[in-house]
Amino acid sequence: MVFLDPQTLIDILLIGLSGTLICLAVHFIPVGGAPAAMAQATGIGTGTVELAAGSGLVGLITSSYMYAYEPNASMPLVMAAGALGAAVMLASTMLAGGLIYAYGVAVPFASAQVKKDPITGERQDIYVSKGTQGQGIPTICFVSGVVGSALGGAGGGLIYFVLMQYYSPLISTSAAAVAGVFTMGVFYVNSVIPSYGVGGTIEGVHDPKFRRVVPKDVFTSIVVSMLCGIVAILIAGGMS
Amino acid sequence: MSEIKEISPNNLVLFGLIGGLIGVYLSPTLPIAGALGAICAVIWGADAVRRVAKYGLGTGVPSIGQIALGMGIIAAMFGLAIMKSQPLAGPVVAVITASVIGFVIGWFAQNVIKMKIPVMIRCMTEIAASGAIIILGYSAAVAGNYDFVNNLIPLVFDNGVILFIFWVGAVAMLHPFNACLGPDERQKRMLYLAGSTGASTMAIVGLAAIMTLGASGAITMLLGIVLWLIFYKKFWDEVYNDAASVVGTGLIPKTEA
Repeated sequence: MVFLDPQTLIDILLIGLSGTLICLAVHFIPVGGAPAAMAQATGIGTGTVELAAGSGLVGLITSSYMYAYEPNASMPLVMAAGALGAAVMLASTMLAGGLIYAYGVAVPFASAQVKKDPITGERQDIYVSKGTQGQGIPTICFVSGVVGSALGGAGGGLIYFVLMQYYSPLISTSAAAVAGVFTMGVFYVNSVIPSYGVGGTIEGVHDPKFRRVVPKDVFTSIVVSMLCGIVAILIAGGMS
Repeated sequence: MSEIKEISPNNLVLFGLIGGLIGVYLSPTLPIAGALGAICAVIWGADAVRRVAKYGLGTGVPSIGQIALGMGIIAAMFGLAIMKSQPLAGPVVAVITASVIGFVIGWFAQNVIKMKIPVMIRCMTEIAASGAIIILGYSAAVAGNYDFVNNLIPLVFDNGVILFIFWVGAVAMLHPFNACLGPDERQKRMLYLAGSTGASTMAIVGLAAIMTLGASGAITMLLGIVLWLIFYKKFWDEVYNDAASVVGTGLIPKTEA
């Protein structure tokens, strides 16, 4: 078997690492779910999976674009392209959402999880409406979201890069489609696992939930992603 | 609730697994069978989603449909690619691989993430396996075969039809329970809706098959539309049937203050 080859082992570890990056990314993104859609909780008003996958898939598009036009691109370059695409996607989502929260729903942006915004130092608790969990997307959530989506995009770019090394010598022009679809599969698996861990809503890096759930989600994600990595490399064996 | 007879989960597993695999295996001679097999898997998967999502996942029902097809697509590609020398074993290996991935994720969700859903492991395994059959069945209906390198890659992956199968397959599986959930949810109504989402997917898969296989795709599309109408009518009747038992309580009586 080819498994004992150190390069193969490193690649499996890299796929495991990229899955973990995606899993970690979900925890950074301020997801409010249905309550946030009614401006009754902090964050963007949709589900974890939708946000993580939406930004991550844009990251996948930008990194594959980079790879398609510069086939000799190094791994950090492909990852950076993915990170940038995903971060731009989520930042524009949050900006549009923020405009609607501010000028459409007319709520002050406030987090119910911390007393002071760790970045601006502004007091939060006096702006939180009674009976809600905060509203809108405060500065710390925005920054945390951009960082998180960049991690997710970098993770997506990394899986794509590793898989292309295996598939493109075997099925030259079709490799992009196969690697892209496989990356999408790994993306969905790794964005749903942490969304079960956080139970649907999380505000970002400052949320007390963050510290509580990250270790067990990341552990799960490493194991599952490495399983996916082994599978991905065995697929290449079937193409030759 | 208890007096209503439900189809047991075991029977639905057998229905989805055997019906789905027969469909996939018949697809080289009769591409339409692949789509029919996938409809069996959609009905099975929708019931598995129903059993696990009843407990409340905290993230909404759609997430479980997406993870199902995520696991399913990885396993389907693996099973078909690894068994190139014995193509007959491919679909079975894909289903087994999906079950293993589903079992691992279910085990971790139950024991590491601690979701406290008793049916988590079993349902995750079933959902992954049905996701793999959905991908295999619809892909085989478009490509006319389930040979990964020679048929699926040029006819399903290169032209992007796989993305459609991934997304609409996921929606076909998650939508029935997502639409029917609530206090008056009943299995029969949900299963008819699952049949109708599966059949409407088959109709659009038929459109893709016209692109790849030519005239035989039109039969898939027409049969899909007919099945969709039949299942939707059944669902419609069930809705009317159930709605008749909802009793109006009238307006809140005016009381003198």
